[in-house]
Amino acid sequence: MENTAADTLIRTNLEFLRRHAPFDRMEAEALRFLGERLATAFYPAESEILMPEDGPPRFFYIVYRGKVQARQMGGVAVTEYATLTLGPGEGFPIGAISAERRSTNSYIAVEDSYCFQLPAADFLRLQELSPSFQIFCTRYIASLMSQSREQLQAQFSQRAAEQQTMTTSLANLVKKAPIFVSPDVATRGALEKMAEAGVGCLAVAGEDEKPVGVLTQSDILKRIVLTGFDLTRPIADVMTTPPHTLHANASAYDAALEMATHGVRHILVVDAEDKLKGVISERDLFALQRIGLRQIRAGIESAADVQALQRASRDIRQLALNLLAQGIGAEQLTQFISALNDALTRRILELNLDRHDLHGVEYAWLAFGSEGRHEQTLSTDQDNGIIYVLPEWADKEPLKLRLLEFAKDVNNDLATCGFPLCEGNIMASNPELCLTFDEWREKFGQWIREPHPEALLNATIFFDFRVLYGDEKVAHKLRHWLLSMTGGHPAFLKAMATNALDVSPPLGKIRDFVTDDDPKHPGTIDLKKFGARLFVDAARVLALRTGVEATSTAQRLRQGGSRIGMPAEELSAMADGFHFIQLLRLRHQHLDTDHGAPGDNRVKPDDLNELDRRILKEAFRQARKIQLRLKLDYQI
Amino acid sequence: MNWLSRFLPGGGPAVSPALQGELDAVAALPAPELTRAHYETRYVIVNAEVAADGSGGQRLSGVGAVAINQGLLRPGDAFYAQLGSNPAEALVALLRFIARAPVVVFNAPFNQGIVERALEQHLGSVPELDWIDLMVLMPSLYPERSAGLARMDVWLAAFGIERLDQRSALLEACAVAQLHQVALAGAGVQGLATPRDLLETQSSRKWLRGS
Repeated sequence: MENTAADTLIRTNLEFLRRHAPFDRMEAEALRFLGERLATAFYPAESEILMPEDGPPRFFYIVYRGKVQARQMGGVAVTEYATLTLGPGEGFPIGAISAERRSTNSYIAVEDSYCFQLPAADFLRLQELSPSFQIFCTRYIASLMSQSREQLQAQFSQRAAEQQTMTTSLANLVKKAPIFVSPDVATRGALEKMAEAGVGCLAVAGEDEKPVGVLTQSDILKRIVLTGFDLTRPIADVMTTPPHTLHANASAYDAALEMATHGVRHILVVDAEDKLKGVISERDLFALQRIGLRQIRAGIESAADVQALQRASRDIRQLALNLLAQGIGAEQLTQFISALNDALTRRILELNLDRHDLHGVEYAWLAFGSEGRHEQTLSTDQDNGIIYVLPEWADKEPLKLRLLEFAKDVNNDLATCGFPLCEGNIMASNPELCLTFDEWREKFGQWIREPHPEALLNATIFFDFRVLYGDEKVAHKLRHWLLSMTGGHPAFLKAMATNALDVSPPLGKIRDFVTDDDPKHPGTIDLKKFGARLFVDAARVLALRTGVEATSTAQRLRQGGSRIGMPAEELSAMADGFHFIQLLRLRHQHLDTDHGAPGDNRVKPDDLNELDRRILKEAFRQARKIQLRLKLDYQI
Repeated sequence: MNWLSRFLPGGGPAVSPALQGELDAVAALPAPELTRAHYETRYVIVNAEVAADGSGGQRLSGVGAVAINQGLLRPGDAFYAQLGSNPAEALVALLRFIARAPVVVFNAPFNQGIVERALEQHLGSVPELDWIDLMVLMPSLYPERSAGLARMDVWLAAFGIERLDQRSALLEACAVAQLHQVALAGAGVQGLATPRDLLETQSSRKWLRGS
């Protein structure tokens, strides 16, 4: 009898839920599970339902009737909204409860409201029971990720804006108080003042500080020196009048236009009362010209020497910052960096080919490691090698020597352009890494057949090879051969998988994150070793197992994962997790390089904002997920 | 007639020993602690379902009940029974469900009256329970919404509570339970923190109204 009563109430719960997404598509069994466990609570208008200080949420809430407002707490907004109103059928707090951490929002009933509540443990269980609900939550968290990215972009736009563009107002560009003299000052005195201040342009203004004229260096030559002008005469007799002025709120662009139109090199900046505020020169504006992708590319391709490429390398870094500011994601950004670095490397190779005659030699310049995966960040050293074909008629030693000399020059030029020489000597100038097709095959084959620790370490670097320059065919041949080898050596794959599982995501049982116990870096997480690498290593195993030719981690996950039947959503979530960690690394390196310190990968979770922490935790969960898959597949 | 009356000779209808055992078990439950906070209290909301009796009056034909425990309404903590051919069994089950908790109704003269009459008739006695009547309490908890006694649908509409099926004693009990949640929130604002506070407010209201 009592069961029938419970059934009736559960049924009314279910009828409500079925009218709202995502419950409308929830699997029957999971829906029943949910319906049985929902308790209804009443919240009068203006009462608090969930506050950040409550700690990790004990319940997942679904608005049954009324309106609940999510309000951002704290000084920094971590999502795109400051407040968000939730109505019947909408649930909260998905992110906090999934991550088992306190909510960043406060949830307040804005009218008399009823909410269903589900204990946190049941919420997690529901995700296991209901793939559709899990997808819903994953998507929701993914949207938090993109919101965080947007917020990141806003942060960078601000920095970029501070860096000034052609839309900057002249008020922001004026650095020094103006140097000026009154019109009745003797010309000699005026020139002395110019020389003393080291300026190329002297403003002349009356006692009211309103500019009446200007004298520039080129005027001195034409009007004073060549004409034998009497230096005791007042400056007013020789100055240009009226001067070209612009208001302080005019833009740098306006100033450039004014200069171009009138063929002048200086503009006097005045305030609202027409008082002189400063002088803007053509050179001030020139420094403002933003560096664009196309310009850098053109600069690289037309570079005549290493010095020009050095400048291009600096421009690439600047562009990376600008691109972040323009709202580009980690995946695209690393692709851009990779593409430009590729172009730079190619140009260095070309310049060196002028000095080293390799005509007729079939060879390819290979990139390994992160460069091979298109995943360079800004503090990547060089990892490269050469594969070449030894013609039947040729002697090996002289040919190899030529290639090594060439490689040595290239390696040094790359170092000059900001890619440090590899400490481990993974460089084409190393005779061990300048090999023929057969030699590479022999090397790779040995690692696969005898997967001792060093071989496995090598595999993680060299199996991510990619052709940067030269003969692609021979490298493709090597790739095909490699994939057919690894696919046929489960013992090797298992050893690689075991290696990939060496490091676990730094998720804590009690605290959110396990940070480094290295006393030199307290409270930090090395996002390369304990973050990116977890994905990279697992994705590599997946690719070598399923014969994926792509070397980038996201591609390997997507292609390899789908080949073993992992759902696309799951794989996207993993790729998102990886990209988020990469984005944090890039940001960290940018912030550091701006301060002149070397970029590293050590991030302090405590320094991240609430949402980033939450997403980082979710990213680590994704790493755990892919690791778990490896564990199951290889029974490790 | 009181709780002990059934022990008197000729006191009432015969109750089977098994049912009597259950009744005794219910009676042996600890008395409700009326001085605990609402959010530590289990309230049982009872709603009577009636049918016409032979003599132009009404008789209890079924009972729906739900609990508000720690402020929450849970689907698992619900009761419904029709009196049918074994009314004594149904009523004992109801008492077992109530488990001596304070009982909440809307319109006690009707609901309490008809339930107690059935208890008397079928079990031969009326166990002592604490009855809270929202019809009496609500005007003092939300004076701005309604000055005097108002019908249930007026109160439900005032708080946007849906009446899913008026023919279902259980779903009606659910609606009253949601109203009781509102009542508890209002009581909290007025400093009426416990079931005892509600009972005292109720009796003073009754006294004021002279009922």
